[in-house]
Amino acid sequence: MSNNSGVLLFARNNTKVDYLKQAYFLAKQVKKILNLPTTVVTDSKDYLLKSFPDAEKVFDKILSISWSKNNNNVDFVVGKDENHFYKTYSDGTIFKTKLEFKNNLRSTAFRISPYNETLLLDTDILLLDNLYKHCFTQDHDFLIYDKSYDLAGFRNYSEFQYVSDIGVKFYWATAIFFRKTEKNKIFFELVEHIQDNWHHYKSIFQIKQSYFRNDHAFSIAIHIMNGYNDGDFAKLMPGKLYFTTDKDICHSIKDDKVIFLLEKENYIGEYTLMSWQGVTIHVMNKFSLNRCIDMVNQNV
Amino acid sequence: MDERLEKALDVSNYMATLYNQKRSFQEKFYQDLVYYYEGAQFTVTKELISFCNIMLEKDQDELVLIDDNETPVQILNLKLFLENIINTYFTASNNYINNYNRIKKQRTIENLVEL
Repeated sequence: MSNNSGVLLFARNNTKVDYLKQAYFLAKQVKKILNLPTTVVTDSKDYLLKSFPDAEKVFDKILSISWSKNNNNVDFVVGKDENHFYKTYSDGTIFKTKLEFKNNLRSTAFRISPYNETLLLDTDILLLDNLYKHCFTQDHDFLIYDKSYDLAGFRNYSEFQYVSDIGVKFYWATAIFFRKTEKNKIFFELVEHIQDNWHHYKSIFQIKQSYFRNDHAFSIAIHIMNGYNDGDFAKLMPGKLYFTTDKDICHSIKDDKVIFLLEKENYIGEYTLMSWQGVTIHVMNKFSLNRCIDMVNQNV
Repeated sequence: MDERLEKALDVSNYMATLYNQKRSFQEKFYQDLVYYYEGAQFTVTKELISFCNIMLEKDQDELVLIDDNETPVQILNLKLFLENIINTYFTASNNYINNYNRIKKQRTIENLVEL
């Protein structure tokens, strides 16, 4: 591991979901479990410092961003117009709401990251083991997940194997490891190009979702980097990416143990219980994750 | 509700949770089987252990293995590597059986997930 390694998080709140709360919680886990510094990139630095007074101790760096070139009072200016996407967020099988999905900064990770070796994570990852530390000791410069496991067991997600029926292999942009190499610079610039021309690539690769997804842009970019073919530009992150969807509910977190209410097949509003221990997991139900984080913070 | 149906539904909820717990432990077992050697990643299998053991019995001290990322890796000390992967396997499988035995005796959903 180089002495310039760390974790990078993007956290931009919408009207209902506090991603900064998740980022703050995750940064503390990263420090405790991986012993690594965390940088958070946000457009709500004032809110972060007000809500979490010790944020400057928890985070290695807090980088503020702005989309407008006219705003000089920030660490990073994206310098182009922001596209606004909306998607449905569920909280279990009954409640759902449409909210702004501010996910269009991930492609800038290479430019923004202050680290030579970066582990880029979604804020809704619950870090429960130290498997990610091995990213920093292995030889490959770009790691990403292609395999995932849905805790509910019965849901059939062919969309997580290929981006579309005739499309390219699906990769998860949820957790990515990269080193600052020339090849990776080209890769991230390519992702930005795909994002800037999303309607074109969406059409070419027959992607049905109406909103932009980083998973798709990264999958297409990997396919192009491999010469429009299968190839080995991307190597695999350690282990599998375990996840629960926003149809499931995160019930409680205690140390490295999480209790989930998993959607019950064919019974809307009913759930089965599962306890999950010691394995990192991606929790897509942001509402219930934040409730659990609140409970943990109250008990500290 | 008919008492017979109510009892059956109780059992069905218990069985669904038991099944969830078994899957949870099984996935933890798979995750625990991952072993790292000099930056390479190996999923420890009975086949990998047997192969390394056979090579060692044939007086091979070094070996080239293909890791999970399809990358060839030179194993310089095969004896030590074998000891480590056996250790990884035993640790993972012992955790698995301990977890499994713990829930085997539980008869309520609350106890299954230790609520």
